[in-house]
Amino acid sequence: MAERKQLHREFSEELSSLWRIAIAPSVWAIHFVASYGLAAVWCAKWSDATLLGDVSAWRVLICGASVVALGIIGWIGWKAWRQWDFLEDWDYTHPLATEEDRHEFLGHAAFLLAVLSAVGVIATTLPALLISTCT
Amino acid sequence: MTDAAAGPRPAVPRGYDADEGVTGPYPPTEEMLAEPIPEEVRQAQEDRLREVWKEPPGWRYLSAVNNSEIGKWYSLTAFGFMLLAGILALVMRAQLAVPDNDLISANRYNQFFTMHGSAMMFLFAVPMFEAISILILPAFLGARDMPFPRLSAYGFWCFVIGGVFVMGSLLFDAAPDAGWFMYPPLSTKQGGIGADIWLLGLSFIEVASIAAAVELIVGVLKCRPPGMRVNLMPLYAWYVLVVGGMILFAFPPLIAGDFLFELERGFDWPFFDPERGGDPLLWQHLFWIFGHPEVYIIFLPSIAIAAMVVPTAAGRPIVGYSWIVLSAVGTGFISFGLWVHHMFTTGLPTISLGFFSAASEAVVIPTGIQLFAFVATLMVGRVTLSLPLLWIAGGLAIFTAGGLTGVMVAIAPFDWQVHDTYFVVAHLHYTLFGGMVLPVIGGVTYFYPFFTKKQMSRRLGLWSFWLTVVGFNITFLPMHLTGLWGMPRRVFTYPGGLGWDWLNLLSTAGSVIVAAGILIFAWDLIRPKGREPLTERNPWGGGTLEWSHDVPEEKWGVRSVPYITSRYPLWDQDKIVERMDAGRYYLPDAEEGHRETLVTSVIDARPLQVLRVTGPAWITMAAAAFTGGAFIFPTFHMYPPAIVSGALAILCVIYWLWTSTAQIPEKSTKDIGLGLSVPTYVSGPRAVGWWGMWITMLGDSTAFASLVFGVFFYWTAGTDFPPADAAHVDWRWSLMAGALGLAAWAAILLARTTNRGGRPLPAAAIAGAGAVAGALAIWAFITALRLPGLNPTSHVYPAMMWALGVWTIAHLGAGIIMLLYCAAALIFGKATPTHDAPMWNVSLYWHFMALTVTVTVLVTAFLPRGL
Repeated sequence: MAERKQLHREFSEELSSLWRIAIAPSVWAIHFVASYGLAAVWCAKWSDATLLGDVSAWRVLICGASVVALGIIGWIGWKAWRQWDFLEDWDYTHPLATEEDRHEFLGHAAFLLAVLSAVGVIATTLPALLISTCT
Repeated sequence: MTDAAAGPRPAVPRGYDADEGVTGPYPPTEEMLAEPIPEEVRQAQEDRLREVWKEPPGWRYLSAVNNSEIGKWYSLTAFGFMLLAGILALVMRAQLAVPDNDLISANRYNQFFTMHGSAMMFLFAVPMFEAISILILPAFLGARDMPFPRLSAYGFWCFVIGGVFVMGSLLFDAAPDAGWFMYPPLSTKQGGIGADIWLLGLSFIEVASIAAAVELIVGVLKCRPPGMRVNLMPLYAWYVLVVGGMILFAFPPLIAGDFLFELERGFDWPFFDPERGGDPLLWQHLFWIFGHPEVYIIFLPSIAIAAMVVPTAAGRPIVGYSWIVLSAVGTGFISFGLWVHHMFTTGLPTISLGFFSAASEAVVIPTGIQLFAFVATLMVGRVTLSLPLLWIAGGLAIFTAGGLTGVMVAIAPFDWQVHDTYFVVAHLHYTLFGGMVLPVIGGVTYFYPFFTKKQMSRRLGLWSFWLTVVGFNITFLPMHLTGLWGMPRRVFTYPGGLGWDWLNLLSTAGSVIVAAGILIFAWDLIRPKGREPLTERNPWGGGTLEWSHDVPEEKWGVRSVPYITSRYPLWDQDKIVERMDAGRYYLPDAEEGHRETLVTSVIDARPLQVLRVTGPAWITMAAAAFTGGAFIFPTFHMYPPAIVSGALAILCVIYWLWTSTAQIPEKSTKDIGLGLSVPTYVSGPRAVGWWGMWITMLGDSTAFASLVFGVFFYWTAGTDFPPADAAHVDWRWSLMAGALGLAAWAAILLARTTNRGGRPLPAAAIAGAGAVAGALAIWAFITALRLPGLNPTSHVYPAMMWALGVWTIAHLGAGIIMLLYCAAALIFGKATPTHDAPMWNVSLYWHFMALTVTVTVLVTAFLPRGL
């Protein structure tokens, strides 16, 4: 569709995209809302359902979601690390007006955000690991 | 480093054919830039530019829309509201100085603390960010103006009208008095008009905030100077982008909350009334989904100012540019996962508290990173202890103290102890004073030479700084103890002998010292400086583009739009200011006598278009006044005048769009200098208007999502949603409404393609048919709600169904107007097969409408039957 093509041109030049830096934090956000919503709904409606023996079902589900989220973030972080390509030129400032610096800058920012998002997902998982009951 | 990228044009990147309509060499070579401009050409260009950008004389000055004027008015107005809110705080401190005081009554005290909080948040902190950004962002970006000057003006006038209305209620003893977060059931059950004034007045100002966010985001993405790739943007621009995005996701939930709230106050729909299935906690959720990100919406722009002042003071580039971008973006995201920490004592399940406690601790990481980056920059640079840096340093020290108490209150059991005590009052003032007030004063001191071409006094500044900082700590440090010793916030007086007496007296004494400090600053800000010499052009030795400003002042923004190859062009790019002044760069002239600015691509800032921006106008003011009427009349339950006012506001906006946006230019491309020729008209994703629509609709969808969240919230929170014997929305009519809505969507897409195919009149007919389908969709939605006899006052379930219906119907109404606008534009030649920006923008609106209509049908007619 014409609109999509124009959009693509507008947002991404070469292999860089501004959106990509927001993916990892978005995964954190979705995971966060899902965990909160899942626990709230589950505790309100089916508080005694269990999985894997006698563990509350919502705890298992949240931990499962965390594994998935960390997997996605890890993959994004790996791609961003490759885009940053730090070990090639040891550049972490990217101050030049070149395609390479812009490309590596976006990779660098996306990588750092992936690390932060992973920490965020782990933080969100802790309550589900440590708190065993709804109330 | 001189023009690192100057050289042969790099190979065309993958996925990119040459930009449509852009011809000529780019980027410019050093030889091209070194070519001199004849003096008489330069003079003639300057005269034309000056003529085009001059402000209207005399009383017509008020019709100005230029960013420098609007920004100045906006920031001074916000500062004025801050002083008023500060006076309220002083009266409250006087009342609390001694136990059992009767200086003011409990009722008046309630009004004062409510208005102090509301005004500081809604009339000072957020508008101040918008005002300062409107004022300085174009200068950072070497742009002539913001992309939508009249939208800024509209936002400003909305802000003035709403602010005066809300603050004015204090004079009639009718001000809101239920606290700045307006918790129901107190606020929904109480009589009087205070709560209505708060709701409608502030909703109106929220509209202005969203308008500013749209303007600023588009400004950062599309109005950067050629060559300023995303890795070269000033950090301030990064922060503006993040904060603009946050406003889009934070304000709409509050607007949705206000919508429900006013339906309850005005029409007795029981959203927050537990007796009829409602739940006051929904308001708390919606308010704090807004309220917590708002703290960061206030804090990040002030940190952004620090990110501009610190490198200048250190005389070197910022350390950790990527890390600061990380922390801005990361804080922006995580700040949305904190809202429930304001609700730790409401009896939510502990597991819910756990998630929010965890996120509240996690947000410390990105917040801390940026502070360390500043400290690192100062450590490795050669620091000049300028007055602005002093303010910034003092602010960050105070903010850090507030951050540490924040870590404490983020732990739920600690919060249970200090909730609603003076400990929290101390915490929030440490974060807001340190994170906003002091850095902003530092920023004003720093940018003052840019704003006024004069300097502020260093002596007065030092007095002001030390009085404010010392007074602040005398006021608020003891409050931690007052709170731990059990004094609740928001009490108008207290008995003696509880150990609170001397602490309160100390705080009151401190508040007077703060007031003295702020007054000295205010005096220095406005005292006449007619006899003082003009400032140097770059008094602090900054490296960013705003210091290429003209002294004495010129209204054109930049003389010519430079080609940028560095984060600090004034430090790194040889002769850049000289060449800008000479008109050696882009857009040095205004041959056609129009105000113009350059539009560039999002990532690499390649020139794409010359955008004609609008000039002085009264219509924006009229639109703001009528919008004000539409919000203010309902406060007094005067609905017919409100409807008339709303209709007139819509007419004003249509007139404004029709007469001044997407005008078809005389020629399709324009030579912008250095041999480069770019289009004068673009449509779709390359046009700023399309971006404005896209961003607005993102915010609008967030508000809609908040209403849908309400449905799920009621379902989880209670057992009677929907009630066992409830009547449901008629699914057949609902389905028909959905189909008609989607037909209208299809119509605009078909109309756009037909028009592109060279047949504007059939396209107009299709758009008209779409409008008819839209009108039928409204009728079908109303029938689907009315037929089963859903009574919105009986229970929250029918009320929620109606609320979703009303939302969708109102949006369909707007969509119909847009379709008719397109049809008219095609018929009267305002849009043609090659000039079709309105068609693209309206299609985009209808993409969002298709989503809204579909979700509404599913959530009202189908989902409840399965619950």
